[in-house]
Amino acid sequence: MMIILQIILFIASAPLLSGLITKIKNNLRMRKGQSVLQPYYNLAKLFSKDEVISETASWIFRVTPFVVLSSVLVAAMLIPVFIFVSPAHKIGDFLVLVFIFALGRFFLALSALDTASSFGGMGASREMFISSLVEPALCLVILAVSLQFGSTDISAFSGVHTITVSSVVAALALLLITLAETSRIPVDNQETHLELTMVHEAMVLEYSGRSLALIEVASYIKQLIFFFLIAQIIFPIGLLSGNLTQIIFWFLWYLVRLGIIAIIVALVEVSVAKMRLFRVADFLGFAFVLGIVATVCAILGV
Amino acid sequence: MLNFLTKNIFLFDPLSLFFLAVIFIVSLPSLIYSFNYLQGEYPAVKIMLAQVLLFAFVLSMALVVSVNNCLIFLIFWELMSLVSYFLVVFDTKNVKSIQAGLIYIVMTHIGTAFIIAAFMILHNHAHSFDFFAIKNACQLMPSQTKNIVFLLFLIGFGTKAGIVPLHIWLPYAHPQAPSHISSIMSGVMIKTAIYGIIRFVMFILGVNSSWWGTLVLILAIISCLVGVIYALMEHDIKRLLAYHSVENIGIILLGVGLSMFFISLNLSYLAVFSLIAGLYHLINHAIFKGLLFLCAGSVYKATGTRDIEKLGGLIKKMPQTAAYFLIGAMAISALPPLNGFVSEWLTLQAFFLGASNVIGGNKLFLGLCAAMLALTSGLAAACFVKAFGITFLARPRSHYAESAKEVALSMRIGMLILAILIIIFGLAAALVIKLLAKVSGSALGIDISSMSFSLNNFTLSPQIAKSTYLSTPVLALWLIVFGIIGFVIYRIFGRGKSVIYKTWDCGYYKLDSRNEYTATAFSKPFRVAFSFFLLPYRKTQKIRESFYHIKSFSYETHTTKVFKKYIYDPVLVMVFKTAKSMRRIQPGSIHLYLGYIFITLLLLIIFMGQF
Amino acid sequence: MQGIILFVLLASTYLMVIAKRTPALIRSFRYQSLCLFGVTFILALTQREPRLYIIAGLLFVLKVSLIPYLLYRIIRRIRVSEDLGLFINPQLSLLWALAFTYLSWIFATYLVSANNAILIGTLAIAFFVVSAGMFLMVFRMTALAQIIGLLVMENGLFLLASTVSGGMPFFVEIAIFFDVFVSVLIMGFFVYRINKLFTHIDVNKLLRLKG
Repeated sequence: MMIILQIILFIASAPLLSGLITKIKNNLRMRKGQSVLQPYYNLAKLFSKDEVISETASWIFRVTPFVVLSSVLVAAMLIPVFIFVSPAHKIGDFLVLVFIFALGRFFLALSALDTASSFGGMGASREMFISSLVEPALCLVILAVSLQFGSTDISAFSGVHTITVSSVVAALALLLITLAETSRIPVDNQETHLELTMVHEAMVLEYSGRSLALIEVASYIKQLIFFFLIAQIIFPIGLLSGNLTQIIFWFLWYLVRLGIIAIIVALVEVSVAKMRLFRVADFLGFAFVLGIVATVCAILGV
Repeated sequence: MLNFLTKNIFLFDPLSLFFLAVIFIVSLPSLIYSFNYLQGEYPAVKIMLAQVLLFAFVLSMALVVSVNNCLIFLIFWELMSLVSYFLVVFDTKNVKSIQAGLIYIVMTHIGTAFIIAAFMILHNHAHSFDFFAIKNACQLMPSQTKNIVFLLFLIGFGTKAGIVPLHIWLPYAHPQAPSHISSIMSGVMIKTAIYGIIRFVMFILGVNSSWWGTLVLILAIISCLVGVIYALMEHDIKRLLAYHSVENIGIILLGVGLSMFFISLNLSYLAVFSLIAGLYHLINHAIFKGLLFLCAGSVYKATGTRDIEKLGGLIKKMPQTAAYFLIGAMAISALPPLNGFVSEWLTLQAFFLGASNVIGGNKLFLGLCAAMLALTSGLAAACFVKAFGITFLARPRSHYAESAKEVALSMRIGMLILAILIIIFGLAAALVIKLLAKVSGSALGIDISSMSFSLNNFTLSPQIAKSTYLSTPVLALWLIVFGIIGFVIYRIFGRGKSVIYKTWDCGYYKLDSRNEYTATAFSKPFRVAFSFFLLPYRKTQKIRESFYHIKSFSYETHTTKVFKKYIYDPVLVMVFKTAKSMRRIQPGSIHLYLGYIFITLLLLIIFMGQF
Repeated sequence: MQGIILFVLLASTYLMVIAKRTPALIRSFRYQSLCLFGVTFILALTQREPRLYIIAGLLFVLKVSLIPYLLYRIIRRIRVSEDLGLFINPQLSLLWALAFTYLSWIFATYLVSANNAILIGTLAIAFFVVSAGMFLMVFRMTALAQIIGLLVMENGLFLLASTVSGGMPFFVEIAIFFDVFVSVLIMGFFVYRINKLFTHIDVNKLLRLKG
């Protein structure tokens, strides 16, 4: 019962997070902008539209939205939200999370190449480039976290614990990685469709209608998972017992944590310009160095 | 001397049985595949010769891993190298095959020379060629000698396995051999070198210095990165796969090196665990690399070219081959729930668990190695997106691809068997690990009866970790369930119409295959990012009719072959120069030669007392 | 008696070393073989073994009669100049021979500690004959000289073997004789062929055996 509730909560709140970030960005730009619930309206609109599928596309193009969505949902199942131990913690740990995202990304890149459009090829090439550079940094973050908490299981760092330098630096590295993985400035721009500036958008350019809706939902959920992981590393709390005040308290704390991270991300997006692709390597190298620092701090026990 | 024939020369302990299983699992589908592959390429007599050689090859490999005696091991090792040389140069009309065969046979004999040297030193200590006698004698060997023997074995077997910088024969030999032979060579033959390392270094010699493990780890990481970066730049399908073999041997050696590292620190659970990870990746790689080479052979047979820049759109013309290649590509990119994912997860877990259990700076070293492994797995996934995408998807880029047809039945059956094995080895991970635990325990001489590696038959769980689990069948189940739920949502909600139309073309109405993305373009970000290692250079040529009108413009970009240019070519030049200067003692006069003989005799007689 | 024969053997070897023309070489070779026959015959008489008689007889038939006859026939057939082609002039060759005799005498004394003068002398002469054979092969240009050098070496080894161990096993000696005979036949044929092809038998001019 808890599992279903958790997953539905996740799926439900994912577009809200994206809307929140957009609202904050617009406020910082002194505009009124769209409402916080706009992503929901977008999804509803997409579901009601027809689809146009390219004639060169094969079954990979049609299957990809389901693969991407299911991989992200399995990843969501691995995260402990309500209780200290995630319901599916016997399926996999933090490393499995990384590889599951790789599964979705693999198929998305293939579907981008499937349509014989240059945009797709370009998006796939850039996405695979960025993601392969993300992997070592992510691995070091996992190492730092697991050295501190004893195992690579995600549930291991879900208990109440003190804030250490290592976890703060690891969270910072994870923030940089999140910016890369969720296609935010300074790595990628979600609001543009110019070929020089898009990576993720280029891969999904050929999708329309309900397939596009499924892929959008998957990217929202992925974003939420990453934000949640950052929050868990720094200041987690899970339900201690099942009475009503605890649940309300927990729910508010859930919103507050995500809100803080959303504000940080929005600030970064507004203040920094998007980087040239080959400078992303330096950016992710910086994340790697932060990962090394986090590991050293964890070794020293700080 | 001849009494070794009467003793027991075969050894069937779990390690040998495991390698025999690997050999036969990959060779049988290749054999089935070869029936239709060789048809029509060569005259019937030559086809029969090919099958005989294949049989001899598999038999020699099986005997290499199951004998108990150094001399007989060497005999079958040499036989294996010779038969594979004949198979590499099978296409005798092709100059490149002959050149590839030459490079291969020279490199493999250099390796064998090192192995023989190591055997000689061992025999000197043990006065016997039998494995168990040598094992007993090695416990009393001084550690200086052990170090030298270890280095000789590492170089000797490393040449055969393809560790950087001794890997140079792999990208020449694997593309030229017939495809089913490439799959056996890449899938099995280079694994016999790993068998040699495990058997001789870990089982017989016994590891007790920690720098052995560290050296193997460093060489393995370098092999991984060099292999995958060169693979990203390749556009010949089989050469790409050959470089990936270099990378995967690196990953296998990471497991083996970690095991050596942990043995020297007396962490026996972790040693067994990392050897399990290495052996699991070994059998996984044999299966998926075998499958990938068979698919590449199918593509070559159907289209006539190995250059992926000339292919495209094959998924519509060869749907089954495309599906098998996709499964192989998913396995090698370590995507769940297939077998490559399980072995990479195990290797990374071995690193992390090791990092928790060692002290100080070693933690960071293991962590950095794990990060490099993650980098190579990301790069490998990128490379296979390129390989699969450019070859099979989008529109055909040339007439080669347009005239492709699905391949014959026996070839498809061969590929199907391996694809099913990939899925089985992915889902049945816990069962496979139980078997591999026995193999590792016997190879390392550690008692595993008190160790547990899995929770039940579906979930992996290292005993030493607090609460880490992996369960591939349940993972696969949930992936399928959510996929079905997504599909149900797709069908239920919204309108049901989808229109087939052209790809969005920005208003340019005449899109054709020249507008597609090319493989060179796909790998450009990597070429730029790793340019410090790849040293790319370009050649352009403009032909002008007049100052304003350029008739043609050709552009080539190449990457420098660093190892060939900076290591092998200077060595070869030096060897030839030395040989030339030695020629001066041979002017051609018989009298001088006779004089040499007699002076030597005289000197020997005079100094006879000294000997 | 043995001492005189050994002295004649030594002298014939010196004659071989300083010979300038092929017939002289072959003649000296004959004398040497005759002396060798004498030594073996005396050995046979003292030991009274039938096999030694047979070997002595074979020695006489082959090395004193048949092989020199074959060599003379080769010279007549190929009709080249009978000059032996010396790298080192006869005077220097003689000096070399004397030096080597002394060296082999020292070597023989080193090997044998007994005071048996005949034994030391025989051993020394045997070594010297072997080295004279080597000398002929290295420092004479024509192919015939090489053949004769080989035969002289065989003589020396035979002398050595019969002194040290009372002769080699019987069948080994028969086999060696047969081998020597056959090799002379074959080499004779080949010298003829070399002459036909190159119109000379000067081995020094055949310099294509390079590395």
